Amino acid sequence: MDEYNEGLALTRPIHIDYPQAVPATYYIDPKACLYLTHGTCQICVPACRSNAIDFSQTAEERQLSVGAVIMAPGFGRIPDETLAKFSYGKHPDVVTSIEFERLLNPSGPSVGEVRCISDRRHPKRIAFIQCVGSRDLGCNNGYCSSVCCMYAIKEAMVAKEHDPDLDITIYYMDMRTQGKDFDAAQKRAVEQYGIKFVRARVADVMPWGNSLKLTYSTLAGRHGFEPFDMVVLSVGLDAPASAKELSEICGFDLNTYDFCKTSTFAPLTTSKEGVLVAGAFQGPKDIPESVTQSSATAGLAAGLLQKQRGDGYIVKDYPQEKKLGKNEEPRIGVFVCRCGINIAGVVDVPAVDASLQDMEGVIYHSESLYSCSQDAQEMIKQKIKEHNLNRIVIAACSPRTHEPLFQETLKDAGLNRCLFEMVNIRDQCSWVHANEPEEATRKSKDLVRMGVAKARLIQPLAEQTVPVTPKALVIGGGIAGMTVALNLAEQGFHTSIVEKNAELGGNLKRLKYTVTASDPAVLLQQCLEQVKNHKLIDVCTSSEIAAINGFVGNFSSVIKTTKGKKVTEQTIDHGVVVIATGGKEHRPAKVLGSEIVYSNRVVTQQELEERLAGKAKSLDFVVMLQCAGSRGDDLAYCSKICCTQAVKNALKIKEINKKSQVIVLYRDMRTYGFNEDAYRQAREQGVIFIPYSMEKKPIITSKTNKVTISFFDPILQEEVIITPDLLALSVGVVPEGTEEMSKLLKIPINENKFYLEAHVKLRPVELSVSGVYVCGLAHSPKPLDEVIVQAQAAAAKAAMPLVKGLVSVEPIVSHVNKDLCIGCGLCESLCPYQAIRIQKVDKTRIAETIVASCKACGICASHCPTFAINMGGFTNDQIIAQIEAFGKS
Amino acid sequence: MGKAKDKQSGAILVVGGGVAGVQAALDLTDLGYHCYLVEKSAAIGGAMAQLDKTFPTNDCSL
Amino acid sequence: MSKDMFQPKILGFLCNWCCYAAADAAGVSRYQYPPNLRTIRVMCTGRLDPAFILKGFAEGADGIFTGG
Repeated sequence: MDEYNEGLALTRPIHIDYPQAVPATYYIDPKACLYLTHGTCQICVPACRSNAIDFSQTAEERQLSVGAVIMAPGFGRIPDETLAKFSYGKHPDVVTSIEFERLLNPSGPSVGEVRCISDRRHPKRIAFIQCVGSRDLGCNNGYCSSVCCMYAIKEAMVAKEHDPDLDITIYYMDMRTQGKDFDAAQKRAVEQYGIKFVRARVADVMPWGNSLKLTYSTLAGRHGFEPFDMVVLSVGLDAPASAKELSEICGFDLNTYDFCKTSTFAPLTTSKEGVLVAGAFQGPKDIPESVTQSSATAGLAAGLLQKQRGDGYIVKDYPQEKKLGKNEEPRIGVFVCRCGINIAGVVDVPAVDASLQDMEGVIYHSESLYSCSQDAQEMIKQKIKEHNLNRIVIAACSPRTHEPLFQETLKDAGLNRCLFEMVNIRDQCSWVHANEPEEATRKSKDLVRMGVAKARLIQPLAEQTVPVTPKALVIGGGIAGMTVALNLAEQGFHTSIVEKNAELGGNLKRLKYTVTASDPAVLLQQCLEQVKNHKLIDVCTSSEIAAINGFVGNFSSVIKTTKGKKVTEQTIDHGVVVIATGGKEHRPAKVLGSEIVYSNRVVTQQELEERLAGKAKSLDFVVMLQCAGSRGDDLAYCSKICCTQAVKNALKIKEINKKSQVIVLYRDMRTYGFNEDAYRQAREQGVIFIPYSMEKKPIITSKTNKVTISFFDPILQEEVIITPDLLALSVGVVPEGTEEMSKLLKIPINENKFYLEAHVKLRPVELSVSGVYVCGLAHSPKPLDEVIVQAQAAAAKAAMPLVKGLVSVEPIVSHVNKDLCIGCGLCESLCPYQAIRIQKVDKTRIAETIVASCKACGICASHCPTFAINMGGFTNDQIIAQIEAFGKS
Repeated sequence: MGKAKDKQSGAILVVGGGVAGVQAALDLTDLGYHCYLVEKSAAIGGAMAQLDKTFPTNDCSL
Repeated sequence: MSKDMFQPKILGFLCNWCCYAAADAAGVSRYQYPPNLRTIRVMCTGRLDPAFILKGFAEGADGIFTGG
């Protein structure tokens, strides 16, 4: 059974799960191995040429002494019993979303072709059922799994790409696409892909002829049924199976759903000192949030163990590098790898080796069985010595996987690691031409000749490093900025906070209570005191950044402070910048087309919160309007926090007077994760939630002393007019100061004016300019706990260059020949990374590479009109030599 | 934990080799700490390795 | 492969980060494709000077592939 493919395919008992697996080592599935289950067979033992199978191995226990633990066990599966009510397990064409994911995947069991499991026909109609195993107290999962809406949309879109005629319907309660740019993707799913979204609860799924019958009921009480060829269950994330065991072993607490218990203000700290948690075990979440939490825990652990930094850290040393004379003749050694039978089974390796005889510059050549093996490294080192070789070519697998290994060997032998060229005759030759041995051999010879041609021209390249000023600048002194500064200071780095207001605190000062009943004032007080008392933190209030110059490791900023009429300027040198400029409440003048007069009767949720926290007078009748000015109304996006904020305030109103009437008009209630509990609680306490659609928008008539709302009630199926005491608008969040900062630092912002991170999934707190990091509301709207986590993650990332003390640069970066450069500036204008600039040297303009920022793409080199720019390891001469060698075939 | 004893180890244990665990381990290494990454299955990568593309950009996930 | 058919000589420039990686992945998955391509790895196709393309044709390439 192939578990990687969710049991939808068969595999051998000894296998690797997928080609890119790390480690890419075959393993024996103990459930399928005849020896391990029945004590027979062992046929694999003599079959393995490397004698790598040893059945005498047993499990061993190891004791590790560690200073901190990070728990990242992920999530578990929703039990099959929960899925059974939708005929899962009874009908093969009812599949889980993860099974469907594998069916869509080109590396999956059906090679990416979607077919019904029952009879392998192409399905024409597919239904997705949302919230399976989530928001369902029936299976004790009261929470929202936070990821299913997104993956369902993604899978539906990918399925449509495979077959544009597919008819896909998604049955949902609320579409919770609250993340950054997520709503836009849902819009695309509807408008470009024609995917249908139906707000309805699915009662059951039953076999019906050779297809399936899905019965549903809508909010208006209408029942219906539809036939489908396939039904995909959008299964939620359960607590990991190992949760209880881990909590007992480590001694930390779990929450009611068996996820790890943490608090709003310390979201990654477990109840056990020194044990941190990251990823889905902390609560259901998607990839970028998991990655962010991981970075954050790394930073927190680094803060805890600041004194032990480097303990047990292994740094290797190398012999003195041999100098290579400028005109020293190339003495090339070539090793042609057989890779067992991986290469030699197709390519005639002896013939390739023989083709090297008398090739210009080749002093030594030989075959090797496994050139990556330890003994082969020793052999290479020995041959380098013996024949005084000064360049090495290895014809084997891919430099992407093995170049670092061979470069190590060169360094061990006292050669510069750049005096190396790799020729790929496995991944890109023997493996892809398995049935054409002659052609594969010819191709190998050509590739080796091209590699040698390049090798003749390769030169040693100096390892370049740039020293780092071990200080950080944090722009913005709200909770995000303060959290960054505190963590960096804990890690031992001097940090300056620049805040434009007269005092620190930002939006946190206006936050009065949270849905988890924690007191924000306590957090604020704690932070302010810690920041004030920490020796490594400087604070500049009433200050702004006038200019930032430099690059990663070496920034220099001018800070302008305005105190009354007195304006002072100071310059700070720092190695990294963290941007935490925050956001603020949006105040739309028009909501859903109606003019708004803000007054005592028409307020924002934040104003309501302040009023409820003050001398609370009970309110008889409150209406809350969600997405006021958001999600395409005024702002294009969802602000993520307003639904929970509304629920929080509604609960507070009920707490003050449980007879108060509260109506919430919404489009999708997005109380994702454990906030779903508060939403359920609000409904239980009698808060009325009524959905509205953009086709029938509520109409607001606001005057200073009276407010009227008329809306269509989908349950009563009629227009309703109400006159509440108070209308609270859930208005959303806009970023602050991002446009100015974007100009100062040349960092991109998205169309909603939030900063655009370097990679949405994998580098969520880094920006495209090296050494600049982002967190908080300026990145995207998010609740307090997520702001804190993101700030901790930004601190961890920002600490990395500071810890190293050096920015090391791959020697493949560009360099400018100053004699040839005419200072035209074309390179500067084209560089996507701001890594080359024009400098004035004695009145002449000359380009200069900022090696710390260069990513070695070579755009500057290819466009330079005077060929003044070259790339390390990929020079014009080298590439031309390769092309010429290609021509000699 | 805050007040470190001299003998306290500076190594860090990461439990789980999915995207969260791997990222934590990589970041710890970049911050100068020795790190043990423990994963129960044969390869690291966890659930993310099963995904083809990722929302909202539909980029490749491997 | 039929010996009578025209067999083009193709020179490819592959970006290290995407196309070269994809070509490796094709190998790992044992996809089979015709053996007419000879490749040069670059760190980015932005590296390509148009002169490289012309040089390739001058050296007898029947087609040039750039993957990035």
